[in-house]
Amino acid sequence: MNNGIFELKNVHFAYLGKFPALCGIDFTVYQQDKIALIGANGSGKSTLLHLLDGLIFPGKGTIRAFGRELKEDLFNDISYSRDFRKRVGLVFQNPEVQLFCPTVKEDIVFGPLQLGMDKAIITERLERLICVLDIKDLLERPPHQLSIGEKRKVAIASTLIIDPEVLLLDEPTAGLDPLTTRHIVDLLIQEHKSGKTLIVSTHDLHIVEELADTVYVVSQEKRIVKSGKPQAILADFQLLQAHNLIHIHRHSHEDTTHAHPHLHTEHH
Amino acid sequence: MKRANNFIERSLMGALSFLKESIFADELAARPGFLQSLDPHVKAITMFSFIIIVLFAKSMLLVMYLYVQCLLLALCSKIRLGFFLKRTWIFMPLFALFIAVPAIFSVFTPGEPLFRFQVSGIAFIITRQGISGAGLFVSRVITSVSYATLLSLTTKHFVLLKVLRVFKIPQVFVMVIGMCYRYIYLFMEIVENTYLAIKSRAGVIIRYRHGQHIVAWNIAQLWQRSYQLNEDVYSAMRSRGYSGEPVILNGVKTGKRDWFWLCYALTLVIGAVYFTYWRR
Repeated sequence: MNNGIFELKNVHFAYLGKFPALCGIDFTVYQQDKIALIGANGSGKSTLLHLLDGLIFPGKGTIRAFGRELKEDLFNDISYSRDFRKRVGLVFQNPEVQLFCPTVKEDIVFGPLQLGMDKAIITERLERLICVLDIKDLLERPPHQLSIGEKRKVAIASTLIIDPEVLLLDEPTAGLDPLTTRHIVDLLIQEHKSGKTLIVSTHDLHIVEELADTVYVVSQEKRIVKSGKPQAILADFQLLQAHNLIHIHRHSHEDTTHAHPHLHTEHH
Repeated sequence: MKRANNFIERSLMGALSFLKESIFADELAARPGFLQSLDPHVKAITMFSFIIIVLFAKSMLLVMYLYVQCLLLALCSKIRLGFFLKRTWIFMPLFALFIAVPAIFSVFTPGEPLFRFQVSGIAFIITRQGISGAGLFVSRVITSVSYATLLSLTTKHFVLLKVLRVFKIPQVFVMVIGMCYRYIYLFMEIVENTYLAIKSRAGVIIRYRHGQHIVAWNIAQLWQRSYQLNEDVYSAMRSRGYSGEPVILNGVKTGKRDWFWLCYALTLVIGAVYFTYWRR
C-alpha cells in the first residue's frame, strides 16, 4: 500500500447483527488526504468513522489500517492499541459523550495520560492548544457549564492534544454559529497543512469545499453512491437532492412564486 | 387535579433546583479565602482529624474551642456567618437536640438533681449529669456537622472526590464517581426539559392515569438514554487510549501555608489526645 492509511474492502456492519448500518463500503485513504463523507441522517457516516477508529469491527469485509487488518483481538495487545490510538483520533458527534471528566482541563489531558505520554510534552501541547483555541478561561470549569461551541472546541482539543496523524471528525460544525464554525474550519485547515489526514463526516455543505479534496456521498441504502472532487459533487443538484442534502426552496417575485433546489456552499 | 399537578411540578422543579444549587454550585469554593487556598488533601485530612477529636472529646471546653475555631475558619474563608449558621443548624443538630432531650432526665441519666416538676402526677427530675451529657452530645454533632459543611463549601466537589485517593480508595472508583457527578447534571437537564416539553404539549392539566403513563414512559426513556450514553462514553474513553486502568492528572501543589496548617492541626490533635486520655 503506497502511503495508504486505510483500505476498506466490501465493509458491512449491522447493529446487533440485524440492523444494517453499512452495506459494502470500499474506499482507500492516503496520507494527508482531505476527505468528506456526506449523507443524510442515518446513512451510516458515524458508524464508518467508529469503524475507522477501531471502536467497532466489520461483520463482513476488511479494513486495513497502516498495513494491518483491524480486528478486535489486535486491540488486546496494549502496545498496538496505544500506537493506533496515538495515530488516529476521533472527535465524536456529541461532545457530551467525549467530555466525561469533571473539568475541561482533565478532559483535554485524559488521552495523552492514558497513552503514557511524557508530562512535559502534555503540558507544552496543552499550552499551545489553549492559545490556538482561546480556551484558557474554560480550563477549570466543568464541561456541563459550557456552551455547545465551547464544548465542541474542547472536544477537538482533547483529540488534537494526542497529535494524531489521522483526524476523524464527526459533524464538527453541527449546531455552531457561523463565527465558531469559521474558527473550527480554519483550525482544521491548519492541522491538515501541518501534515494530518482529515476525514470529516458532515451534511453541512458549507464546509465541504474547504475541508475536502475528495467527497464520498453515502446513501440511505448505507453505501457509497458517488465520489469525486467537491466542486463536481456540489454541482450535481440531482444527486444532492436525491440524498436529502439540499431542499426545494420556494420564494416569491412580486406576483409569481417559484421553486428551485437550494444550496449554500460558503459562509459569508 | 390541577392542584396535584402543581404539586408534582413544584416538587420536581424544587428537587432539581435544590440539586443544582447544592451539588453544582461552587461559588463559595471559588472565593479567595483561607481554606480555599489550602491543598485540598491537607484540608480534608485536617478537617477529618478535627471531626475525630470532636467525636472522642470528653471535655465541653475542647469541643467549644473547636466550634469557635470552625466559625473563625468560616469567616477567614469569606463565608457569611449567618449563612453558615443557618446551613449547619438546620436539620441534623435540631434532630440531635430532640434525640438528646430524654437523656437529661434522671430515668436515663441518674445523678445530682437540678430541677423537679410533675406532669399528671408523674415526677420528672432533670439531672446535672443529664444536661452535661446531652449538651456534650449536641455540641459534638453541631461541631462535626460544621466542619463537614465547611469542607464541602470551601472545596469544589470534583476536587473533593479526588481527595478520596488520600484514603486509598481505588482510582477507578474515584473516576466513576467523578463521571456520575458530571452526568447527573446532564440527566437533570433532560428531566427538566422533558417535563417542560410535556407541559407545552399537554398543558397544565393531565389526567391521573395519563400522567402515570407519561412518568413511567419517561423513566424508561431516561434509562434507555443513560444506557446508550454509557456505551458511547466508554467508546470515547477507548478512543483516547483508556484500557482499564485510568491515569489522572494530579495538579495540586502543597505549599508552605499547607505545611504550617498541617503542623498546627497535628499539634492540636496530639494536645487533645494527651489532655483527654493520658493526663488523667
